[in-house]
Amino acid sequence: MNENPEKTTHFGYKTVAETEKASMVADVFHSVATKYDVMNDLMSFGIHRLWKRQTIASSGVRKGHHVLDLAGGTGDLTAKFSQLVGDTGQVVLGDINSSMLKVGREKLHNLGLVGNIDYVQMNAEALPFPDNSFDLITIAFGLRNVTDQNKALRSMYRILKPGGRLLVLEFSKPEHEVLSKAYDFYSFNLLPKMGELVANDGESYKYLAESIRMHPDQETLKAMMNDAGFEQTTYQNLTGGIVALHRGFKY
Amino acid sequence: MLNNFIVALVERILNTALKLDPTLSDRLAPIAQQRLLIDIRDWQQQFLVVFTGQQLHLYNTTEQQFDCMISADIQTLMALKNPAMLTQLIRQDKLDLQGDLHIAQGFSNAFAALDIDWPEHLSTYLGDAPAQQLWQLLKQAKQQGKKTNKQLATTLTTLCQDELKVTIHPLELEQFKQHTRQLKSHTAQLELRINQLLQAK
Repeated sequence: MNENPEKTTHFGYKTVAETEKASMVADVFHSVATKYDVMNDLMSFGIHRLWKRQTIASSGVRKGHHVLDLAGGTGDLTAKFSQLVGDTGQVVLGDINSSMLKVGREKLHNLGLVGNIDYVQMNAEALPFPDNSFDLITIAFGLRNVTDQNKALRSMYRILKPGGRLLVLEFSKPEHEVLSKAYDFYSFNLLPKMGELVANDGESYKYLAESIRMHPDQETLKAMMNDAGFEQTTYQNLTGGIVALHRGFKY
Repeated sequence: MLNNFIVALVERILNTALKLDPTLSDRLAPIAQQRLLIDIRDWQQQFLVVFTGQQLHLYNTTEQQFDCMISADIQTLMALKNPAMLTQLIRQDKLDLQGDLHIAQGFSNAFAALDIDWPEHLSTYLGDAPAQQLWQLLKQAKQQGKKTNKQLATTLTTLCQDELKVTIHPLELEQFKQHTRQLKSHTAQLELRINQLLQAK
């Protein structure tokens, strides 16, 4: 009898060993990195830009702030934050995946955004920063890919400055049944086909749809943030709850 | 989300203006990174404007962190094109201003002085002479449009007042108002008198 059974977690609808999830997620993002932006626009009909705008509008970011854009991927949020914090501020674009970081760095360099951006490959569960380092942490469409989400939230809480805030932009549970059914049809039937056609990778987009369904709903994530120590935790449903923006403060 | 979409469109238009008038950046430079919050009371919406040196950022927000905040209804904000109105509007409680006034003035002055050299920009696509001709043509069309509008308004007023008799002349309206006021005053006097008579009994 095995006295120390291996802990498991979910990878989409599959159950896998916790130790394997990070590398499996990494494979997905290595595979889609170059087509990531095109696919985001295509899959969301460009609405992901509005979700990200809402995140920036809720960030309270200003000149001189230190910002961590976690799971920042191709740097959509970093591009805006970099301008808003100015020369005296700093933005760290963090991602566990080197391919995504590479694409992000190239894109931001091409936009002429240099000087106040650092690129760091990191695991959200063990953030390599001292306590109380950042005024703002954002994680957009990244938390559901993290193996131990509670540990990641605690790690984010640790490195936030008192008065700082965490914004989690993530797929969530649609508020209405009809929308939910239409959304299910779209994500399980059309999405993988679009992935197959454009990125030549239907499996990765099947994982995307499955991982969204396995992600905690609005209230569960709010409770998880509270458990991690965040205060005044609230969330805002966007596009009928397909996406939710959670906000929590550290005092 | 619709709000967000419209705000994104307006932001794009502002940034296009920034590209088309290179002097706009220079005028906005002194207030770079300063956060102007515009609270439009009748819309119950707040908008944050920041110029970062490269771009103008405009967000629909509920955040209360700003360097300058203007709160007024939309009509009052439109009247702010004339900076001389500022003190008067504050005194009339139509406008609330918090923080550094120079930031609001900076944005207002920068956009008031917006001067886009359209023939120059059009010449990139059409060539110098056609661009100039097209611009002249558009200017003439605009003037002609204004003139036609004015004529149409006059004709329509005459038609409604004199021919169709569906509306009255402003002087007639004024006379009617005077009569109504007189009638109101007489009625009040009569009411007073009746009350006095009733009390005398």
